[in-house]
Amino acid sequence: MTVAPEQVLKELAALWVSLGKEEAEGAAVLRACAMTLLVAADDAEDPQAIWETLAALMPEHPSRAILLRVNPRPETGMAARVFSQCWMPFGQRRQICCEQVEIAVSAAGLPHLPPVLLPLAVPDLPLIFWCRAPGLLAPELGAMASKTVVDSARGFDRAVLRDWSRAGRVVADLEWTRLTCWRELIARVFGNADRLARLPALTEVRVAFDGEQPPPAARYMGAWLLACARAVGAQPRLVFEPGPVLRIELHGPGLEIAAERAESGCAEVRAGGLVTRISLPRPAEHVLMAEELSIPGRDPVFESVLQAA
Amino acid sequence: MRSGNPFHDPLRFGRQVAECAVVIFGANGDLTRRKLAPALYRLYSGRRLSAGFAVAGISRTPVSDEQFRDKLREAVAAETSFDPRVWESFARAIFYLPGDVNDPQMYPRLAARLREIERERHTGENVLFYLSTQPSQYATVALGIGAAGLNRGAGWRRLVVEKPFGHDLKSARELSATLHQVFTEAEVYRIDHYLGKETVQNILALRFGNGIFEPLWNRRYVNNVQITAAESIGVEGRGAYYQEAGALRDMIQNHLLQVMATVAMEPSATFRPDSVRDERSKLLRSIHPMAPGEVRENTVAGQYGPACIGGEDVPGFRQEPGVAPESRTETYAAATFFVDNWRWAGVPFYLRTGKRLPKRVTEVAVQFNPAPLAIFDGVNSDTSPNLLVLRIQPEEGVSLKFLSKRPGAGMTLRPVSMDFNYGSSFGERSPSAYETLLLDALAGDATLYTRQDMVEASWAVVDSIRRCWDEMTFDFPNYPAGSWGPPAADEMLARRGHAWRRP
Repeated sequence: MTVAPEQVLKELAALWVSLGKEEAEGAAVLRACAMTLLVAADDAEDPQAIWETLAALMPEHPSRAILLRVNPRPETGMAARVFSQCWMPFGQRRQICCEQVEIAVSAAGLPHLPPVLLPLAVPDLPLIFWCRAPGLLAPELGAMASKTVVDSARGFDRAVLRDWSRAGRVVADLEWTRLTCWRELIARVFGNADRLARLPALTEVRVAFDGEQPPPAARYMGAWLLACARAVGAQPRLVFEPGPVLRIELHGPGLEIAAERAESGCAEVRAGGLVTRISLPRPAEHVLMAEELSIPGRDPVFESVLQAA
Repeated sequence: MRSGNPFHDPLRFGRQVAECAVVIFGANGDLTRRKLAPALYRLYSGRRLSAGFAVAGISRTPVSDEQFRDKLREAVAAETSFDPRVWESFARAIFYLPGDVNDPQMYPRLAARLREIERERHTGENVLFYLSTQPSQYATVALGIGAAGLNRGAGWRRLVVEKPFGHDLKSARELSATLHQVFTEAEVYRIDHYLGKETVQNILALRFGNGIFEPLWNRRYVNNVQITAAESIGVEGRGAYYQEAGALRDMIQNHLLQVMATVAMEPSATFRPDSVRDERSKLLRSIHPMAPGEVRENTVAGQYGPACIGGEDVPGFRQEPGVAPESRTETYAAATFFVDNWRWAGVPFYLRTGKRLPKRVTEVAVQFNPAPLAIFDGVNSDTSPNLLVLRIQPEEGVSLKFLSKRPGAGMTLRPVSMDFNYGSSFGERSPSAYETLLLDALAGDATLYTRQDMVEASWAVVDSIRRCWDEMTFDFPNYPAGSWGPPAADEMLARRGHAWRRP
């Protein structure tokens, strides 16, 4: 069994014809596409959950989504099916639709996929590769993509990411993306001129984590805090310690700052005698991906932290 | 965010602002409850505001800090995705000072209160004064701020004023002169909330972020431009205010001329605030001033009369509460403007606005010239011109209408419409205009604010019309509520072979 790209493209074209016919007179169907989103996932992962995540992404990042369902059994052939994801924005009389292609393939077949996938990539638009399982991070697929997104919370080896980054590929890690709100909180604290002036005297950065070893998120946070402090001449020591996920402390003369998750959905920041509470919900996967899809090019801050963490 | 903050990541972080206090004069009013407080709460909740942030409300009503906070809580909870835990933290930054803006002693008390707030909240002595009062009090408040020395301190001081900025050119200049006794022009932020709308900003993105539209954006390819700001509601209890203003002053002098300037301006060399405002100002100054005869030919005033809409009787303007039975105030205004520059000479810009029109819509429609030769002469073939429509509200979007071959034998053409800006209409919440504008004022970005020269240029355009209209007699009411305005507005376009696009 194999997949013929021309056949898939014909089926996609036929999809639009049938969508147009289905619509009641006067309404319209609008095709929306800003990229090709190539998603690689283990066959064992619930495809419905993945499609729901992609559906949540569609309004802000419409794409031709190609889901590779990878089966470890080498005898698995290749098969494809084509469908659409549509929604009707509130108050409008037209549907906005994106194309979806699902391809079943064996793990052994992954390196041989580019000749099948390249014709399916939408011309002139970026191709983003979202790899959801460590064993599926095929260099051949990464080479096709303008950006590769992984989640090291799922066990990806960051050494591979570092190598890809050093080789010039654009990479992203959703564990880093999860830290955006926290980093914003810290940046906000140093919006105060007085505190900023004391930053060069910072002596210690403490990052608390849950578990035996600092997870990627803790390492990223620690590396980022160190890099920012060193940028203004500070030489703090970095301490990882067990504690609630995630707590950050910065110590120095006239600088006692702490940020930690308070109740569900909130974070509390203590600085300069002020305690502020900010809404900080745990972002859903599609929210994290949406942030990454909003950054098509390189992220120099992340690249630097990735090498140091 | 202060430059030099090594933690700031511009690629991922939304814009943040440094610590500051926002002082709202007239804090008990509708604007604070409905717009300002919800906008500030959203900015705080969205991590846009510094930890050292405070709001000080001033009004005559004698209430405590706590009572003022409770009042705002109610309003914010109704207008936002409210989180009581976040509110609790935000509310600690809200203070209230009862006082009369006409009382000179109020300002030294405000100065003392701000010093207390600074000690408690570390606001960096940065202060944004927001005038949410009657426009007639702007001068009084500004002078009071100056007399108490509140306009100067270790941090920055800015003043935000809402429209109207005067009621004609002379009063606008007088107001400006008074404000400039206390604040420099760079410190004065005149809000035109239309400029804060995502889709108005998107006009700049569309024109100057892409290479394909600008070559067509001139008299050679553009036939006419229509700018419509229609409301389906009447004056909604604000008859007394509206009677003094009218559609020309209330909408055309500010919002519509600013939108026109955005559509017609030259590209600026940079996106720095003054570069963009320089070009907007230049455009406004290039609008051909109308002589009295031209006013009669190129403007239309209207007033809605009673009608039955959807089985319900709606009153005419003169029957609205607070409106004089013989009121001569226009609730509809349309005008044909020309821009005296090489890019636009001879291209009519049709502007119209009105109350009690069939629907609420604000849009810009750029109609292009037809193809120079009609080579497709199929029966029933459409020959309508290309149209680029920039929809500002309610359904934001950009659509391009062009002709395409009808499938099948023959070469019959039909119009198709392609939407290029669906991104903003997908239910993703865009920031409100006030969130954008407040954040910009706090960050010191005046790109979306009106400058004094822009105010004076637009008053100069409108004053010549107003002077004529004050001497003319109109047969009001001259359009029934629920219609697209007086027939004279259609005739104004018909004289040039044009017709209003029905939005």
